Amino acid sequence: MLSLVARRLARLVVVLAGVSLVTFAILQVSGDPIALMMPEAPEADRAALRQSMGFNDPLAVQFARFVGNIVRGDFGQSFFHREAALPIVLARMPTTLLLTVFAMGLSLALAIPIGIMSAVRRNTAFDHTATLVVFLGTSMPVFWTGIMLILLFAVHFRVLPVSGWESWAALVLPAITLATFSTPLLLRIVRSSMLEVIGLDYVRTARAKGVSEWFVICRHALTNAALPLVTVAGLQFGLLLGGAIITETVFAVPGLGRLIVGAIRQLDFPIVQAGVFVLALIVVLVNFTVDMLYLYLNPQIRVR
Amino acid sequence: MKRCAPLAVVLALLACAVAPMPAVAQAKDTLTVALVSHAPTLDPHMHFERVGILVNINMFDSLLHRSTKLQFEPSLATSWKAISDTVWEFKIRKNVRFHNGDVMTPADVKYSFDRVIDQTKKSPQYGNIRAIKEVKVIDAETVHIITDKPFPLLLERLVFFPIVNKKHIETVGDQAFGTTSPVGTGPWKFVEWKRDQLIRLEAFDQHWRGKPAFKHLIFRAIPETATQVAEVKTGGVDIIRDVSADLVPELKTHPQAYISSTPILRVHYVNLDMRAAPFDKKAVRQAANYAIDKSAIIQKMMAGLGTQVATVVQPLAFGFDPEVKPYPFDQKKARELLAQAGYPNGVDITLHSSSVAYRPVFEAMAEMLTEVGIRTTPRMWDPGPAWNKFFQAEGKATQGAYGTWGNYSVFDADAVLHPLYHTEPGGWIGKWFTRVEGLDKLIDEARSTVDQPKRKRIYAQIQQIIREEAPSIFLWTQYDTLGISKKVQYAARPDEWLWLYDAKPAAR
Repeated sequence: MLSLVARRLARLVVVLAGVSLVTFAILQVSGDPIALMMPEAPEADRAALRQSMGFNDPLAVQFARFVGNIVRGDFGQSFFHREAALPIVLARMPTTLLLTVFAMGLSLALAIPIGIMSAVRRNTAFDHTATLVVFLGTSMPVFWTGIMLILLFAVHFRVLPVSGWESWAALVLPAITLATFSTPLLLRIVRSSMLEVIGLDYVRTARAKGVSEWFVICRHALTNAALPLVTVAGLQFGLLLGGAIITETVFAVPGLGRLIVGAIRQLDFPIVQAGVFVLALIVVLVNFTVDMLYLYLNPQIRVR
Repeated sequence: MKRCAPLAVVLALLACAVAPMPAVAQAKDTLTVALVSHAPTLDPHMHFERVGILVNINMFDSLLHRSTKLQFEPSLATSWKAISDTVWEFKIRKNVRFHNGDVMTPADVKYSFDRVIDQTKKSPQYGNIRAIKEVKVIDAETVHIITDKPFPLLLERLVFFPIVNKKHIETVGDQAFGTTSPVGTGPWKFVEWKRDQLIRLEAFDQHWRGKPAFKHLIFRAIPETATQVAEVKTGGVDIIRDVSADLVPELKTHPQAYISSTPILRVHYVNLDMRAAPFDKKAVRQAANYAIDKSAIIQKMMAGLGTQVATVVQPLAFGFDPEVKPYPFDQKKARELLAQAGYPNGVDITLHSSSVAYRPVFEAMAEMLTEVGIRTTPRMWDPGPAWNKFFQAEGKATQGAYGTWGNYSVFDADAVLHPLYHTEPGGWIGKWFTRVEGLDKLIDEARSTVDQPKRKRIYAQIQQIIREEAPSIFLWTQYDTLGISKKVQYAARPDEWLWLYDAKPAAR
């Protein structure tokens, strides 16, 4: 089992290295930041700046320097903020994480009970309504959902702030928007895996023992149905971080997504690199946690 | 049962979150402005972004100010005159205090210029003032600015060139000055900055013009237009910028908001690639100018918020010649010219654009060109790195590109003619597209004298030449359109500035 954990950790490092290499390569071909930093300066001044920032060195040298710095936790100075990139990125992280975790929590809070109900009361009006809502949720683009929610709750009913990050109330609409995006898939997963499990022999046996229906579902069925749910939820978390970028834009939330999008526009390489690295780290860590949850949920893997 | 407990916790959290509702209505002495983003720094010399300038001007003063009528006004300089072609004398206002209590002196003025001219600081504004060779402190109220050659744009450049506090910056350092302790002499002083969220300022009691009307000034960063409009309607924000044509009617009739709009220095054009067929032929370029129904586009697609122009030189700019008239809309003439140029059966071209906001306009123009036989494929680009590389750095946007140019808010014909049409290697896009004989020489001549009547004559000549040679399809000047809460009295300015010292609470 220890070797399994070690293997997973090694994979984590490989993924991060790969992400850094890809980000570095894409940024290299995306343009010349100097032209954006000194828009009206003569070519000679630009050349001098390019030289002093090391952009004239061979790519391999630049990449080696880049990796060497990362290992020491140094992503360089942001070209535009003129400060170290990593602290700027880390300062934005809590906002995005809070939004994503909240949305994930909301998603699970909706998906699990409704999914179970749909499975237990298969082909009833409840199940059909849930399916319909799932389709609606999947079809609505995040930015559109966001704007509609603003119009309804902030402009028409005036019960929530339009945008910003000044109060807890400001978290509600963005979290709901983001949850609308992830709930449908989770709900379908809960429903289908419950359906699979609910007809199995051991569930029938539990019922035959005279255990209450509620206990059968929560304790016996759900434990086994949880495996696919955990997998998908882990993957969905990464997607939610991506969706957070759009949500942050619509609701003017000062998160990491907006920082990275702005940095891409300005070719601010250090910020993009640090930002992508930190996001990748989070996704990889979440998936690592999912792997560890497997061990807990499925004893078979522990034995292997 | 235990398993369901986390769900309950999440639901409870959600309930808590809804509970503490903030007062949505704004305090009366607070003015809130929405910008699409924040500049990377509050240091007024270390960025070159409109959103940053709009914040900086309310915290810092420059030597000169510009009135709403676009006249130069004294600010930190009380008077100025050219002593020779290359030396300007400025008298510096006395008893002006910085936000930290220090008195502003000529030494601060010199320091402000030196930190931009000093290239190790990598100021992106260096190019703007690189003609300045030296700034000399003459006595306690006099400063000389010495340029390396005659520099007619000097006064224009000084309208946004904030004076900073030498002692303060040397104490706290450049970085802290740009993030946590910017200190100027302007109407509002710094309180806090939460990046991409809000910049909070407070009225500076000792400001030399007197206290501003609003005690608190907040610049929020709200990237999405729909969100900005919702904020204005609900009173969360008092001023929003760049209201697009489709939203104008809605805000015009809203009980809590109004629209203020004025022509600005941003000109629209389609730059044509004169290096290759078909736009190497003058007749084809003229045909393209005749083919576009500019007034229809302005009226039907831009809510009337635009003014047709004869060339790229705009009525607001120094050197504008009203005698040069715009190309009329004339499809017959366009077809004739096209046939004359050797394309009786028309020609296929591709045009490029990265302006998402004006995509419908771009596509309508492509349709109009196609109607007269210049069959146009409009290609849209994501505004960003790829576009910059393709278009600006490599000049590949053949056979032409739709674009807009804001003149860096410099009210002088040079600020548009040089970047668009001068072919020198370090220039902007002229080097890729434009090939008009003798044009470079005229542009150079006009920028190397401070004799304004002479410059005016040269610019008139240039406008006649480019009207005839048509290196671009000449279109219109854009308007700056603000959406403003009825609680606030303010008007859009032709220089796109938000000079909020002029903003007042509306009389009730």
